[in-house]
Amino acid sequence: MKAVLASFRAEWRGMFADPQVRLILLLSLVIYALIYPLPYRAEVLRDVPVVLVDLDRSTSSAELARRVDASEAVALTEDAPDMVVATRLVQARKAYGVMVIPEGFERALLRGNQSPVALYGDASYFLMYQRVMQGAGVPLRQMGAEVEIGRLIGQGTAPEVALAQVSPVSQVEVPLFNPVAGYATYVLPAAFVLILQQTMLMGLALVATRRGPSDMHPIWRLIGRMLAWTIAYAGILPVYLIVLPWVYGLPHLGETASVLFLGLPFVLATGLLAQIVAAIFRRGEVVQVVLLAVGLPFFFLSGFAWPVEAIPPGLNLVAQVIPSTPAIDALVRVTQMGASLADLQSGLWHLWGLTACFACIALLTERPRRF
Amino acid sequence: MLAVMLREFRLFLRRPALAGLALVLPLMLLLIMIGIFRAGIPTGMAMVVVDLDRSDLSRSITRMLDATPEIVVREQALSLSAARALIVQGAVRGAVYLPQGLERDVLRGARPEIVTFYDNQHMSAGSMVARGARNAIDTALAGLRLSIRQGQGEASVQALVRIQPIPLQAHALFNPAFDYVHFLLAALVPTVLQIIAAAATAYAISLDFGLGRHPRVLARMAGGLLPAMLGKILPYTLIFLTILAVSDLVLYGWLGVPLRGSFLLMATGAVLFILSVQLIGALAFVMTRDMGRAASLIAIVTAPAFGFMGLGFPREAMSQLAQGWGALIPGTWYVQLRIDQSLRATPLDISVWSVVWLAILALVLGLAVLARLKGLRDTAMASS
Repeated sequence: MKAVLASFRAEWRGMFADPQVRLILLLSLVIYALIYPLPYRAEVLRDVPVVLVDLDRSTSSAELARRVDASEAVALTEDAPDMVVATRLVQARKAYGVMVIPEGFERALLRGNQSPVALYGDASYFLMYQRVMQGAGVPLRQMGAEVEIGRLIGQGTAPEVALAQVSPVSQVEVPLFNPVAGYATYVLPAAFVLILQQTMLMGLALVATRRGPSDMHPIWRLIGRMLAWTIAYAGILPVYLIVLPWVYGLPHLGETASVLFLGLPFVLATGLLAQIVAAIFRRGEVVQVVLLAVGLPFFFLSGFAWPVEAIPPGLNLVAQVIPSTPAIDALVRVTQMGASLADLQSGLWHLWGLTACFACIALLTERPRRF
Repeated sequence: MLAVMLREFRLFLRRPALAGLALVLPLMLLLIMIGIFRAGIPTGMAMVVVDLDRSDLSRSITRMLDATPEIVVREQALSLSAARALIVQGAVRGAVYLPQGLERDVLRGARPEIVTFYDNQHMSAGSMVARGARNAIDTALAGLRLSIRQGQGEASVQALVRIQPIPLQAHALFNPAFDYVHFLLAALVPTVLQIIAAAATAYAISLDFGLGRHPRVLARMAGGLLPAMLGKILPYTLIFLTILAVSDLVLYGWLGVPLRGSFLLMATGAVLFILSVQLIGALAFVMTRDMGRAASLIAIVTAPAFGFMGLGFPREAMSQLAQGWGALIPGTWYVQLRIDQSLRATPLDISVWSVVWLAILALVLGLAVLARLKGLRDTAMASS
């Protein structure tokens, strides 16, 4: 028991008395909390600028342009005489789409023929492309349906029947969670988990590289350290995963107890992994550079931003060794989607499994050097 | 200066930590990133169908959903709450609800509702699933509308024209195959390299200019501070440029990402990018004279850099503050240049500005490093 307490005190001093480690564990958390969300504060793209190339210059084409301009997603900000001028505007990033209404648009409509409209979206930006297609696509389909209904009524079909014939069912799409498709709501809850893991790995690995030899039994030493991490992160983790998202106005559905239940094995697994990282790379500077570089790959390996269905199975297996992979999935499902612990059994066991494995490896790395 | 460069290369070969950080680490991470995105657009994302109708129409919609490449219909749920639970647990990414009496109501003209629920917290996957489902249901219904019109005696070609008076011809500008996956990869590579180049340069400099070391020996050897610094930095510029070139061979050669613009402009941009990133590392170190604190500084600038590049959420939609911060990071301009010159075939007079910005950044950073070094030398001389 005394050994555990001594190890606890040594770890605690290592974490908070060393100014450099304190900088990583506490101050950098604050700085990241300010910088990371900065690009996403606007949440949703509104009025994406689109160039109009109206070659018809008729009442119908003007009406179509007005409807597209009125949509929330896009705004027709520029007029261009042809596609060459329009493309240059897109290349200069003054607009992200082009709508071309061909000559003869109105005449074809009046004759009852097909009257196509071309829509070019800037596909080098996925989100912009989506918004352009959405913003112009909806009013276009609507106008098309109205034209078709008008023609059917003209042929003597009753209005209700015409409507049912043109659109036999009404398709409704309901986004569950993050209903306005906010980008901050999407990316920040996952990013905060990863930041927590990376700073914890870096700080605790630095503590490990700076530790002097000790004659205590490795098991007591490890237990003492785990106690120190648990107590420190019992304060830090809820602030980062519950208070901080609240400050940024992100939705929070899950129960705090579930966050803590998942947080415990997450903190332990990450702390133990830090011991292993320190044992492998030994020198503090090297540990820092390596951990800094792997942050972004870890994020994409977690299967959050980039769907796990697209990650090759072998690589996905490797990803399961990183605590952030199950932690991001489980914690996001709790805080953003209101999942209960019963829904997340596999993630919970996954984290405890990592804790057990890392504990065994950490014990092995402790033994030869200090006994 | 050459003497310092040669010494650095020898140092590089002798020190495993240096070679590991500047060579093995970036190559390994690039391999992992290429591995993640190699497969391209995700396919086979699971959806569940809540089919309360069990009619020919509901079955044909289910079949159509399953035939969509993005979607696999995993199972049937008996109720909406069961489907919702599957989504929350992560077993499926979305659900399609086909109400009781769907087929009958369609034939009666009562316009029943088909509802698609999708997990929009995982927005990238969710939006792909929703789009796939929308298209599948549209296709199934278009078939139905066609058969109704043909039943009324219209010829099939004519009916096809009639049900779509204003067809939308959607074109993906600059990227017709809509291969944004490899394009994302082309931007992630410099982002990861940016972190490593800054940190590894700071580390290499710390070995000579750290506390307790004698930079004056190095300066005497090179004949001045500037050549000493350049001799220290340039060997790594060569190493990182080689790594960048290898990954670009993979991207533009093997994975076939199009390269439509000026190669010369890309190459100039690459050199300026690597140099200015290294200078960030150098500046961080000479400011703090401590590798630990330098690494923290580098982390603050380069770790969140990806978000500011605007590949996910576009730069133009960000606040002025975020745009300004992004403009200070070399990667922002280099990635913009890469997109411009690979996909968009942007005219030189527009694209050259990215290179100009990179040159300005490199110049300002270089001057800052030199000024700081001069200051350090003067104080060292005054005290001795």
